[in-house]
Amino acid sequence: MDIFETMDLFHSYKNSKVESLKNINIKVGKGKKTALLGANGAGKSTLFYHFNGVFKPKSGTVLFDGKPMEYTKDALAELRSDVSVMLQNPDEQIFSATVEEDIAFGMLNQGMVREEIDARIDEVLSMVGMTEYRMRPTQQLSYGQRKRVAFAGAIATHPKVLIMDEPTAGLDPQMAQETLEIADQLHIGGTDVIISTHDVDLAYAWADEIHVLRNGTLVYSGVSEGFYKDSVAVALAGLMPPAMFAIDSNLTEICGIGNGKYPHTRAELLSKMAVKDTKTGTLYGIPVDDYIDQAMIDCVLAHAEEGAAVGIYGIQTRRIAYKEALRLDYVFDGMENCLIEVMNGNDAVIYYDRSLSDMVIGKVVKVSGFGLKIPFEVRGGL
Amino acid sequence: MDGILETKDLYFYYAGSTSGALEHVNIKITKGKKTAILGSNGAGKSTLFYNFNGVYSPSLGEVLYEGKPIKYSKKALRSLRSDVAVVLQNPDDQIFCSTVGEDVAFGPRNLGLSEKDVAERVELAMFQTGITMLKDKGTLQLSYGQRKRLALAGAIAMKPKVLIMDEPTAGLDPQMANEVMEMANQLHHLGTTVVISTHDVNLAYGWADEINVLRMSKIIYSGTSEGFYSDIKLVHTAGLMAPAMFSINKNHCDMNGVEEAPFPTSLPELVSKMSSERPKSGMMLILSITDGLTEDEMLKATGPLGGPRVGVYGTAARKAVFRGKLHADYVFNGIDNCLLECVNGKNSVLCCEGRMVDIVTDRIERLKQFGTSVGYEIREV
Amino acid sequence: MIDFSALPIIQQRVLLLAVIIIAAVGSILLARIINDRRRKAKGLPSGKRGGTSEQVQMDSLAYGSRMVSWSPLGKMFLALALIVAGLITKSALVPIATMTLGLALMAYSTNMRIPSILALAIGEAMLIMIIGCGMISIMGNPAEPAIWNAEILWFRIHMTAASFNQAWLVFFRAVAGVTLMLAFASSTPIPHLAQALRQMRMPKEITEIVVLIYRYSFLLLERMQTMYSSAQGRLGFNGFVRSIRTTAGIAVGMFTSALEMGDKAQAALDSRNYTGEFPIFRTPKPMNATWVAMPILLAVWMVLFGFYTEGLIDFNVIFFGGA
Repeated sequence: MDIFETMDLFHSYKNSKVESLKNINIKVGKGKKTALLGANGAGKSTLFYHFNGVFKPKSGTVLFDGKPMEYTKDALAELRSDVSVMLQNPDEQIFSATVEEDIAFGMLNQGMVREEIDARIDEVLSMVGMTEYRMRPTQQLSYGQRKRVAFAGAIATHPKVLIMDEPTAGLDPQMAQETLEIADQLHIGGTDVIISTHDVDLAYAWADEIHVLRNGTLVYSGVSEGFYKDSVAVALAGLMPPAMFAIDSNLTEICGIGNGKYPHTRAELLSKMAVKDTKTGTLYGIPVDDYIDQAMIDCVLAHAEEGAAVGIYGIQTRRIAYKEALRLDYVFDGMENCLIEVMNGNDAVIYYDRSLSDMVIGKVVKVSGFGLKIPFEVRGGL
Repeated sequence: MDGILETKDLYFYYAGSTSGALEHVNIKITKGKKTAILGSNGAGKSTLFYNFNGVYSPSLGEVLYEGKPIKYSKKALRSLRSDVAVVLQNPDDQIFCSTVGEDVAFGPRNLGLSEKDVAERVELAMFQTGITMLKDKGTLQLSYGQRKRLALAGAIAMKPKVLIMDEPTAGLDPQMANEVMEMANQLHHLGTTVVISTHDVNLAYGWADEINVLRMSKIIYSGTSEGFYSDIKLVHTAGLMAPAMFSINKNHCDMNGVEEAPFPTSLPELVSKMSSERPKSGMMLILSITDGLTEDEMLKATGPLGGPRVGVYGTAARKAVFRGKLHADYVFNGIDNCLLECVNGKNSVLCCEGRMVDIVTDRIERLKQFGTSVGYEIREV
Repeated sequence: MIDFSALPIIQQRVLLLAVIIIAAVGSILLARIINDRRRKAKGLPSGKRGGTSEQVQMDSLAYGSRMVSWSPLGKMFLALALIVAGLITKSALVPIATMTLGLALMAYSTNMRIPSILALAIGEAMLIMIIGCGMISIMGNPAEPAIWNAEILWFRIHMTAASFNQAWLVFFRAVAGVTLMLAFASSTPIPHLAQALRQMRMPKEITEIVVLIYRYSFLLLERMQTMYSSAQGRLGFNGFVRSIRTTAGIAVGMFTSALEMGDKAQAALDSRNYTGEFPIFRTPKPMNATWVAMPILLAVWMVLFGFYTEGLIDFNVIFFGGA
């Protein structure tokens, strides 16, 4: 089942003979992390503006959740409360003078009740880590803070689909990681996330499926590695292969390690390149609900005294970890780094939101599948 | 090692604010080196740059150019600004004229040069940034990438001794970003001291000789990249993460008990170091282009080598290949890709401008440390 | 040595007037320099180059004010009531009193630390008024006896006791007005004001335009400052003609930025389901009975005070001694 589908979509801007989108037949899968990839001017934003009805096709149809789009006022209003867009430049979408007002903007337009709105503002602000900024005027915020406010505003309306345009552009690496983590959690919570970007490394590490646009045409839909195998197509599309892909394919060619698997992250790469019978440490997972009790901390400290690294993963966990001022080695990219520590022979402990349990186990299994088995034990929690 | 630009105990406060945009900043930009200033998006970096070209004067402390404190008289600033050019992140902030040619001429004209000199500089700057064919186009009709190149051309036209670029690759797709960094390298090779600011650690790692890390208005590290990334705690305090290449090297070495040094900063170096068994390295034929490349010359080069992949390095070479309607496998990132071919045991051909050949041979030299000795031949065409 | 009292009366008065003007201007400049030195010595901002504009500073002041949560309409009504009171009476003591009240409110609002931007604004108002009131003082009723009579070029100076007093009255009214309005402006952010106007049943189109202009003016201002700085770096202001050309270039850049922002804003508004009206989540405190009654009472009290003290101050006596 597809969340978005277009059939023979053509689009050109008013008063322009140039077609900005030509014959697009795209199927964006439901429940997948999708990336729209393409050079500047390839037509990515033009396409996603069709997904929330801001642009209308010149010819062809756009379907949302299986039903063709209607462009009446009411239908569009409903569509836009289901499909939320977060733009690259936060100043383009923050209209109100204070943070609180801006987040309330979308919800008020949707007709939500005031008490609900009040609660939801607190909720999303805490998700992006901006709780103390609620009453601040928007122009006093830094770029990164504004981006987070824009993000909060986009997810406040509980959208079914979140489209993010270059979500990590202009952010320092740690904030970029945080943003992606939140996107991941939304994905698990049932929101479909689509990222539009020209950052091939980002898309490679994050997305399940990519769609590549070039000069208004769709040149590829499918799994990342399928695209990058064809270097001519990559160059024509104005892109370059992701670092992980390039390193892996070159090493595979030289060393002949061919298990047909394509590592997308550092941990996966190392697992693939690891010598057999390397001695690994153990990864201890501690699921967190809304508190971390002393027993858990002691358990962790015991391991940590022996040199284990400690990482966190998940919005709630991060909030609690900051509040309790826990001793941490990896505040960002916790899973990746802990897995790498384990592969290097050290023990590692990872705190994570209980709701992310499946994801954590999934990652461990995936990395193990590349060649080096990672021992994983769940501790603590109820 | 001379410092061409230096700050001593620099403090800068914006009017009406009690917290400093810059505090206790001691930075030294070494002449002739490639320096990167790492830090997140915020007023800190641009404030520093404006102090370098005299647009802002320090609240406390001083700024030195070529060892002498900056004077803020009109004459002194004029001379300073023709030596120190700043290119901002957003090209729209620095385009003032309606056509491309005029905007590139803006700076030189303001220097009071003769029309002949101005025209010469404009031609050269446009050539070096690959926008010669856009000369008469209106600035409002340019794409983002073109505008960024225009902004760079405007700065190059001043023939600066120091070129400072704020987030040169921000907003650019991979190929354009690659091109811009190539241009920066070419300028550096020709003698300009180049300084870039970025928060892309991967970009800075492969490129910079020296890095300075700016965090919350203060400099928390000055020195080599490796020195910084080896201190994980410091990296995290700075809000940054180690570059992929550094981490992979480190993890690989930890796992296999290999020495971390020498540190690979590009893909061929990393692959070469990480491969346990390396095939015999391929040969690289470097075509040193002076003015154009014909199909014949290309065939003569590729024929005997048995169908090697062809790479391109540099704006001039790219233009020559394009004009000659020749086929190239690696139009972007030519050096890395050709070296990779060699590491993989295959031959490759690299087209580049005569003046830039040294850059290529330097890279080949560097690669030796990582276990691959690439034999090469330079042929002038 | 010049014997002052031996000088003709005209020259004495001219000298006196000149002294007042110079003293006023000089003290403001001196205050500025001393302030700068003091701050530099403490290692604090001197920030003459670059920096946030006045608009941004005022905005930060307003949001950081202790009076920010008072009813915006109420504050405005209070300021206006006191200004009107000063205009009704002929006593100079009323505007002096309301000016003091204004300064007190300002001090409270900024937590006893009146920033230089406000002090300078009042100083500038004083300077401008000195010129204006100077004009008033020398254009007295020709029928009345003159304290000072002179002819400069084609202009006849005729200063009477009445005109002199009038000039001082106008001066204090104006400065009091400026002080009160500044106290209001520095404690009320524009969006609050816009919402207050909305409560006053002003059409929503106008209030929304006010908020949008407010919001986008910061962005455009930021843009302009950046362009200005980069133009300086490219030597765009080397010489008069060049400066004009560069300024024109900046103006075009601002214009196109504004157009671009408008376009992008439209798409973003559509995406966020804009219904045509900006909804307000947190409405400002309305004007309640206290806020209506208090200013009126104060104003009435001031007016009565004025009637009581009318004629009590004769500036002629203060300045020239004797009638």
